[in-house]
Amino acid sequence: MAKIEFRNVVKRFGAVEVIPDMNLVIEDGEFVALLGPSGCGKSTSLFMLAGIYLPSGGELLFDGHVVNEVEARDRNVGIVFQSYALYPHMSVRDNILFPLRFKKTPRDEALARVKAAAELVRVAELLDRRPSELSGGQQQRVALARALVKEPKLLLLDEPLSNLDASLRLSMRTEIKSLHAQLGVTTVLVTHDQIEATTMADRIICMRAGQIEQVGTPDDLYLKPSSLFVAGFIGSPPINLIAGEAEGGTVTVNGVRFPVEGASGAVTVGLRPEHLRFGNTGFAGRIAQIEPMGREILYVVETGMGVVRVLEQGSSAGHSTGEEVRIGFQPENSLVFETARQKLIAGAHVQAPI
Amino acid sequence: MAARAMVDWDALAARARVARRTKAVVLYAFLIAVSLPIILPYFWLVTIAFSAKTGVADTAVLWRSMAVVIPAVVAFWLVAALAQSRRQLWIGFAAVAAIAIVAFALLVGPDLHLGNFIFLWEPDFASVVRSRIGEVKGAVQFPNVWHAFGNSILIAGAQTAIVVTVASLAAYYLSRFQFPGRSSMLRSLLVLHAFPVLTLIVPMFLMLYWIGLLDTLSGVIIVLVAFELPFAIFIMKGFFDAVPWDIEMSALTDGASRRQAFVSVVLPQVRNGILAIAVFTFIRGWEEYIFVFTFLIRNSNWTMSLYMYWVRDDVMGVDYGVVSAVGVFYLVPSLILYMAAQRYLMQMSIGGVKG
Ligand SMILES: Nc1ncnc2c1ncn2[C@@H]1O[C@H](COP(=O)(O)OP(=O)(O)O)[C@@H](O)[C@H]1O
Ligand SMILES: [Mg+2]
Repeated sequence: MAKIEFRNVVKRFGAVEVIPDMNLVIEDGEFVALLGPSGCGKSTSLFMLAGIYLPSGGELLFDGHVVNEVEARDRNVGIVFQSYALYPHMSVRDNILFPLRFKKTPRDEALARVKAAAELVRVAELLDRRPSELSGGQQQRVALARALVKEPKLLLLDEPLSNLDASLRLSMRTEIKSLHAQLGVTTVLVTHDQIEATTMADRIICMRAGQIEQVGTPDDLYLKPSSLFVAGFIGSPPINLIAGEAEGGTVTVNGVRFPVEGASGAVTVGLRPEHLRFGNTGFAGRIAQIEPMGREILYVVETGMGVVRVLEQGSSAGHSTGEEVRIGFQPENSLVFETARQKLIAGAHVQAPI
Repeated sequence: MAARAMVDWDALAARARVARRTKAVVLYAFLIAVSLPIILPYFWLVTIAFSAKTGVADTAVLWRSMAVVIPAVVAFWLVAALAQSRRQLWIGFAAVAAIAIVAFALLVGPDLHLGNFIFLWEPDFASVVRSRIGEVKGAVQFPNVWHAFGNSILIAGAQTAIVVTVASLAAYYLSRFQFPGRSSMLRSLLVLHAFPVLTLIVPMFLMLYWIGLLDTLSGVIIVLVAFELPFAIFIMKGFFDAVPWDIEMSALTDGASRRQAFVSVVLPQVRNGILAIAVFTFIRGWEEYIFVFTFLIRNSNWTMSLYMYWVRDDVMGVDYGVVSAVGVFYLVPSLILYMAAQRYLMQMSIGGVKG
């Protein structure tokens, strides 16, 4: 187990600066997620932790010791690659055994640990197969077993679920989370999928173009996104963002007027689809499309301010395409951002027009 | 609409069937036409080696053997064309082969003998053969054929070992590391291979002379390695490019050093590539003629190709059966090697070659 610290870490590839200045502390035993769109430098950060990439500047600390120059093989880090990176010419047993080969573990003990790791992720009956004879989910488990067998200080997961089908993803999510609870190993999950991050991690580090946008619990990111980027990234279906002008206690958007508290100038109002309700008051629109999502129904509504998405419980159905509706919400659920700096204005809320 | 609805599906199907059959007939006719000229010389070589007698210019046996082999080849392709299942195919092949063997035994069998392989146990076979027709003078002093065989194995084997080792390491480096001049190096690899090697024979001769390796096996090995390396590196680079970085990184975090990762994780992925360049390099060395002819002088340094050349030069007019027998003997190792490695050579394209 280890406490991890990035201090002013920089990573460049040639002239391209992928990580300009990263500062982050991950506590011992924590499960954090690095969340961000493709190409924002998540894997790069992970590979620096693993010792595969050398930081171009700054310091990387494990338990207070600078490890910048410590070789990958001496770091005792377990990593699961996006492609799983199983060794195709070895049996599952030899794959899981591989990390122990270099630790001079006595053969009996090594085999016992392979068996234990395989049982932990439920692949014990597959030990004699080749990776090519396994399904995606099984390969994933083997990769996990291989990462865990050396009892790593730090477990790194690079998009571990992205190659699995939807139902398998759901069950692996649960399994990885319970593995973490069981083993208590410091874990860093890399993902571009906000649902994976919010369901699994204790804390989320939201990244954008190599920079950390916000660090916080899943609730923090959902309820108080520090920026438009985070607000847009967290939540599904995505938040409705409406740009307008705040003046004298009112935000005006194309003639629609929202009473506002604590904001002025160019602002962007954020309204999550699940917080919007059809009713007798609120702003007006016409239902353009209906997308049933099982228990819930997503309505795509055309309003004077552009398209607004509304998520309603399926039971309250009875709306049809082309219907004229009014949309309301609770003021405390609204978010107001400064358009120029894209930052949240803390404490500012809008009310629905009457 | 009514006219459209009256489509005659049966007529369409019949037309497609005829077209398919015509295509198949043309294809198999083509295969027969090209396979006969390829098969026939080898077939004759073997037949002559086992049947010709000193001083007798008898071609009747060749015509009789052709009467067996040509119908056999045609029957072979017909079976391939007409068989409806894998089982039928094999039964058909077996039947054709059985009939051909029986016919061969009846028509050619009585003429077969091993006398032409005299060179295997009689180093001075040239004199023996000549004395049969009463001619004694002018015979070349031949070394023991096994000596030439050993030299060829040595040249081809050493060349293969060096090329495989150097090409693997160089190609790995080219595939994995960025360094200034990498792309121009890759381009020059191919250009190097495009030069006709014969143009360099005079400078090569002088260089070997000055460094004192003229008329030595190591001199020839060095020259062959130099000419074979660029292409082998290029092929191997394609194979290394196809190995994902991830498994290497994974090995590093699993505690392997770079060298251990290379040996235990990367090399096994390019096994087919290594086998392929090993086979091609070995065969290239085995059949090498121009360089050994130019750079090797003493007859104790003869390779199989030189041995073959001098046998042809000295005995051809007297006994072409012996010449053919030497040819068969020279051919066998390449044949065995190809057959053993065929499965891997077929996968060459999977490794892929890209720049
Ligand atoms: N080895 C490399 N050489 C050059 N550029 C790289 C390398 N690895 C990653 N990059 C670049 O760094 C950026 C971040 O990549 P990465 O960390 O893989 O993103 P992701 O967040 O999708 O995992 C990308 O723009 C990518 O092109
Ligand atoms: Mg990535």
